[in-house]
Amino acid sequence: MKMVRAIVRPEKENDVVLALEAKGFPALTKANVFGRGRQKGLSVGAVHYDELPKVMLLIVVPDQDVETVLQVIQDTARIGYEGDGRIFVSPVLESYTIRTGEKTV
Amino acid sequence: MKEIVAIIRRDKLSETRMALEDAGLGEMTVHTVNGRGRQGGTLMTEIDPEVPAEFDAVSRITRYPTPAAYALSHSLTRPVFWIPKRMIQVVVPDDKASLVIRAIMSVNRSGRFGDGRIFVCPIEETVRIRTGERGEGSC
Repeated sequence: MKMVRAIVRPEKENDVVLALEAKGFPALTKANVFGRGRQKGLSVGAVHYDELPKVMLLIVVPDQDVETVLQVIQDTARIGYEGDGRIFVSPVLESYTIRTGEKTV
Repeated sequence: MKEIVAIIRRDKLSETRMALEDAGLGEMTVHTVNGRGRQGGTLMTEIDPEVPAEFDAVSRITRYPTPAAYALSHSLTRPVFWIPKRMIQVVVPDDKASLVIRAIMSVNRSGRFGDGRIFVCPIEETVRIRTGERGEGSC
């Protein structure tokens, strides 16, 4: 099992969610976060923004679905400019459904 | 070391905190998140009535019937596509992981949809910033 954490543009969040849903991944968690990348924020004229608002999507999927999820997020969240975001994949050892208490692998 | 990420109901947070304290583990990080599970959202009546429904969120489930999608198409009650949740993170030594999982499960299980999930992830290294201490003693 893998945890996929995608940090995407807030305006692209809905597109990504809809695309994931169409591929059969309706369940996810999202959080509003602030962050910056290698460009150290954004300068618009004289105004410098240190941190930019982003949406973090957190999805846990079986190992064989990771590539599909990555592809879907990349295809929908990309506009080709700096600030499109990042996707991180990390291992998950165990997963439990609290309602039933059972282990879902 | 293990990181335990649990996504739970908002109103169960204080009970979870107390359960963890009883188990001898007081430390945790809490995030305010929105989420949904396989049911694709829920109805207004299921959660806190003070939470406004997100009508502008067009991310509705269309592939199979859900309570939220049904309510929307029949104008019954206000559907909620993103349910406000709390996400807690606890980092513990390997041997205490099952203790945390049991504590979280015991207070959060109501038997209805939306009780949440627990994920257990590996953690390679932790550092206590104040002392610079590393490893199991610092988590």
